[in-house]
Amino acid sequence: MTEYKMFEGCTIGNRIPFIEASSRKVLDKIGVQTSQAPFTCCPDPTGVKSFDNMAWLALGARNLCLAEAEGKPIISLCNGCTNTLRGVQHQLKHDSLKKEKVNAELAKIGKEFKGTIDVVHFVDVLKENLDKVKAGITKQMSDLKVACHPGCHYMRPAEWMESDDPMRPKNLKEIVAATGANVIDYDELALCCGNAVAGPYPEHGDAILKQKMDSIKKAGANVIVVNCPACFQRFDTSQRDLSKKFEAEYNIPVLYLTELIALAMGVSSEEIGMKNHRVRRNTAIENL
Amino acid sequence: MTLPLGIDFEFRKLIMDVHIGSDKIKYCYQCNRCTDNCPVANVANPFYREVTNWFDPRLIVLGTLLGYKDIVMALAGSKSALIPWGCTVCDTCDTVCPQAIEVTEIITLAKNVTTGAGLAPDNVVAQAKAVFESAKAIPSQPAIERRREQLGLPAVAAPDVNEVQTLLKNIGVDKKL
Ligand code: SF4
Ligand code: SF4
Repeated sequence: MTEYKMFEGCTIGNRIPFIEASSRKVLDKIGVQTSQAPFTCCPDPTGVKSFDNMAWLALGARNLCLAEAEGKPIISLCNGCTNTLRGVQHQLKHDSLKKEKVNAELAKIGKEFKGTIDVVHFVDVLKENLDKVKAGITKQMSDLKVACHPGCHYMRPAEWMESDDPMRPKNLKEIVAATGANVIDYDELALCCGNAVAGPYPEHGDAILKQKMDSIKKAGANVIVVNCPACFQRFDTSQRDLSKKFEAEYNIPVLYLTELIALAMGVSSEEIGMKNHRVRRNTAIENL
Repeated sequence: MTLPLGIDFEFRKLIMDVHIGSDKIKYCYQCNRCTDNCPVANVANPFYREVTNWFDPRLIVLGTLLGYKDIVMALAGSKSALIPWGCTVCDTCDTVCPQAIEVTEIITLAKNVTTGAGLAPDNVVAQAKAVFESAKAIPSQPAIERRREQLGLPAVAAPDVNEVQTLLKNIGVDKKL
């Protein structure tokens, strides 16, 4: 059985570790083994990459080197980290000029990028092991009407991510359905949560989130399921402000995919620290 | 606003090099599909506004393709200017582009150029600083370390900050912070 290097990322590791707790529980239950490595920030494909693309390539490549040294693939719990590590790998594998430049820098710290290991998103690992996920489920989540939000960087750009249909993603829906929950279709499935633009332009970020939330509400969902910590935080922390700003009610709770599965596998919400969520849990979640 | 019309060949070369092994940006035929599908353009561009307040990936592609560095920089010439910093990096434009142009990578390059001029948004600079200082975008904090322990999680493996700083200094990132 493959052992993966766990890439929890900065947001999950150092801000919302309860997501790591549910992720580790679920991976344990389906027999996926992981070990740690002293990874740095991936770095962020919307932040550091926008700041300096060369820094993005070099730091990303350095992280890949750490996994290469052990000859083990990386499992990432975050869209951004997966996007960076796969993107850096893609660019360096297909652009010899970039690879030469990056390796010249890495050589000064005694490292070399070779491109010998794979980087996988945890959603893809769950999908690959869907029979084991199903076998572990003890509680049908049939009260839930789920709006799935896979987020941009899980499937775009398609050439790097090679995970799903970039505009009509279905993997998350398929896994959610395996827990017995009802997957609700809504128009804005492939729309961004607006996280990156919300930094310099909160008004545009809010307008995008509103568009997303209106579509989710209209479809009648009672929970949103995500597979990215940035999207998680956006939905979990911004709905209250959004309600005030647009004088409408936005209070749909958010679950990380691994939280949903852990609950369906009979793990208690205390054990995975769900009290740290911001959006008040509605009755649909409270009863789980 | 008067827009200078100088063609900057160095800038043009940089833009060409964005695409792996090809100059396919040349084949942009200005169909506008990128802008039509851009979530930011969708919320930021009401009719009858100053063009400098628009966020328009198609225009960014045109301006950069022609090597109009001065135009791009004039539009981008203030702190956190909407062009290019309005881009939320959703990668929708490059997904829908019929010519497979990597629009988001082009905008990234435009962002990088403004960063050199000290015009990046504060939150982006703050993140780069945090990564330089701690090798993490979000540094470890005692309260979270305790929470990890309560949740039965292992401590996050500490990264080699010195090595990261050497790497970033050699690239010249420290001078832009
Ligand atoms: S979609 Fe592609 S070809 Fe059309 S205007 Fe945008 S970059 Fe050019
Ligand atoms: S990546 Fe940027 S320019 Fe392209 S569609 Fe998304 S927000 Fe618009």
